[in-house]
Amino acid sequence: MQNKLSGWSRAYLIIVFIILYTPILFLVLYSFSKGNTMSNFHGFTMAHYQTLFNDPRLLQIVLDTLIIALLSSLCATVVGTAGALGIYETRHRSVRQTVLSLNNILMVSPDVIIGASFLIFFTMLGIRLGFISVLLSHIAFSIPIVVLLVLPKLNEMNASMIDAAADLGANPWQTLTRVILPAIMPGIFSGFFMAFTYSLDDFAVTFFVTGNGFSTLSVEIYSRARQGVDLEINALSALWFLVSLLLIAGYYFLNQYNQGRKTKRREVGAIIK
Amino acid sequence: MAKTIIEFQDIVKEYGDTKVLKGINFEIEQGKFYTLLGPSGCGKTTILRIIAGFTDATRGNVMFDGKKINNVPANKRKVNTVFQDYALFPHLNVFDNVAFPLNLRKVPKKEIRTKVLDALRMVQLSGFEEREISEISGGQQQRVAIARALVNEPDVLLLDEPLSALDMKLRKEMQYELRALQQRLGITFIFVTHDQEEALAMSDEIFVMNAGQILQTGSPVDIYDEPINHFVADFIGESNIVRGHMVADYRVAFAGKEFDCVDAGMRQNEPVEVVIRPEDLDITTVEKGALTITVDTQLFRGVFFEITGHDDTGNMWRIQSIHSTEVGAKVGAYFDPEDIHVMRFNESEEDFDARLETYEGEDSDR
Ligand SMILES: Nc1ncnc2c1ncn2[C@@H]1O[C@H](COP(=O)(O)OP(=O)(O)O)[C@@H](O)[C@H]1O
Ligand SMILES: [Mg+2]
Repeated sequence: MQNKLSGWSRAYLIIVFIILYTPILFLVLYSFSKGNTMSNFHGFTMAHYQTLFNDPRLLQIVLDTLIIALLSSLCATVVGTAGALGIYETRHRSVRQTVLSLNNILMVSPDVIIGASFLIFFTMLGIRLGFISVLLSHIAFSIPIVVLLVLPKLNEMNASMIDAAADLGANPWQTLTRVILPAIMPGIFSGFFMAFTYSLDDFAVTFFVTGNGFSTLSVEIYSRARQGVDLEINALSALWFLVSLLLIAGYYFLNQYNQGRKTKRREVGAIIK
Repeated sequence: MAKTIIEFQDIVKEYGDTKVLKGINFEIEQGKFYTLLGPSGCGKTTILRIIAGFTDATRGNVMFDGKKINNVPANKRKVNTVFQDYALFPHLNVFDNVAFPLNLRKVPKKEIRTKVLDALRMVQLSGFEEREISEISGGQQQRVAIARALVNEPDVLLLDEPLSALDMKLRKEMQYELRALQQRLGITFIFVTHDQEEALAMSDEIFVMNAGQILQTGSPVDIYDEPINHFVADFIGESNIVRGHMVADYRVAFAGKEFDCVDAGMRQNEPVEVVIRPEDLDITTVEKGALTITVDTQLFRGVFFEITGHDDTGNMWRIQSIHSTEVGAKVGAYFDPEDIHVMRFNESEEDFDARLETYEGEDSDR
């Protein structure tokens, strides 16, 4: 019975993974095809990668996308962590619940609506659409993610540690940097990582707030794909997929390291100091 | 008299509509071992938190060294706390946990090292410096918490039920060690427990609390021998408590008879409660006994037999006897006048002390 069940679930998993990954593999495969369409494989070539690396506009966009992702996730991590601390410190139950609900609403509301509202907001304020508008909107939609990942860590933390720190002479700032932040570091870390990936692959919100001249990768791929199939995009997607894999692997290993660093905690504590 | 270091003046603490502390007054003298003793939820932790500065009193003054400290933040007070759950920092190892307060004060590295090693030696944890908190036992964590609280050389150490998570044997050991530590360092300890045995064994002074009030203050012997009311008598040790009335000074009636006693200063015929400790009752023959008791149960407790029975008027009695008897037998129970302690109903601690003053002076003349 047990075996049969796990056999079924394994089969299920395999099917799901095939469905999910076949299109990606297909896309990667054709990035090496000699032809210019995806109807037939015409033999191996690196030509598309060559055009890709000779396309300064596309490379610029990749760079911009990474910069946006990095900056927005950093800002969102700082703001989101501060927000989570604020919510945690709020004694008033109903206030805390309200703030938390507002946070969660942002998480679940459709990107299109958020994007459209940002567009209206920025035009109203007269902010020119471009790098700044994209950055601001990415920061904004990443903050709730960070809050959601940091808050549980705060709640898990032994609250009497905060009293203990004050008892031993720590002022509020020292309590924050030497006790609270080290305790919630894993949450901050996953918050940052999630914000980073959300920013990298966001399309809907970005689509609304990129003006002329500035674009991110997902928006660029979309607009090129609309003009017809271009295998350069396949090459780019393949590379992008590779980067994502590396990011995931990096995250995994960092997590492993965090779990297994018990004997090395000292150094980490020293870094934070 | 030693110097008063902490004083509570009419401290009231309210959470919403509930009064958790109902006017607490006490003075803490330097260098003594104090215990706050009372059942769970009576407000012991709240008192410690107010001393440490984690919680504000709703009303009343907290005095430290003669100065009001209600508005001094916790990190500026010269008291340190050993928390019930230890509250060690899991991201730091043993050494860094103990060094934490010294690092905050930017003490030179070399001095930190000396002080931390000294503190760890004091709690017998030499050699554990590099261990992670998760790698040491509960008892060792507790010692780390004590070392961390002492390394700052506080004037007062607050301990909130520090032994409650330890097993019996370790607990007894730590009782000795804490007491010895306190006497060696000469620091004032304020120790919280709900375990009356622990309180009796360790303290110079005990505050017996119930429902947000201090019922009685005194040395362990005073509180054990002369509990102020039913609650204290019942809470501290085992006792037989029966109703009676005063016939005259040094003469009390209960269980249908009159007895000599050593208590005085009450109205004639005033209804009272009489306390006799089980270990003060001796089994004898019915003729020689002061009371006749019918034995209901008998348990062998190793050092003594624990016998329960009832007298002719229906009062229950618990007796600790080194001689065995038989269930159903009628025996005599014997006690001396000094073994009787008489308690008035609703007597305040001040009145109680004042009354004792009036006749205990005569006592010593006799
Ligand atoms: N933050 C709080 N809010 C409301 N009630 C509290 C709070 N802290 C403690 N209490 C109440 O105060 C009373 C005394 O608590 P405490 O001092 O912890 O008791 P003890 O330490 O003697 O067990 C309890 O009834 C508890 O429920
Ligand atoms: Mg408590």
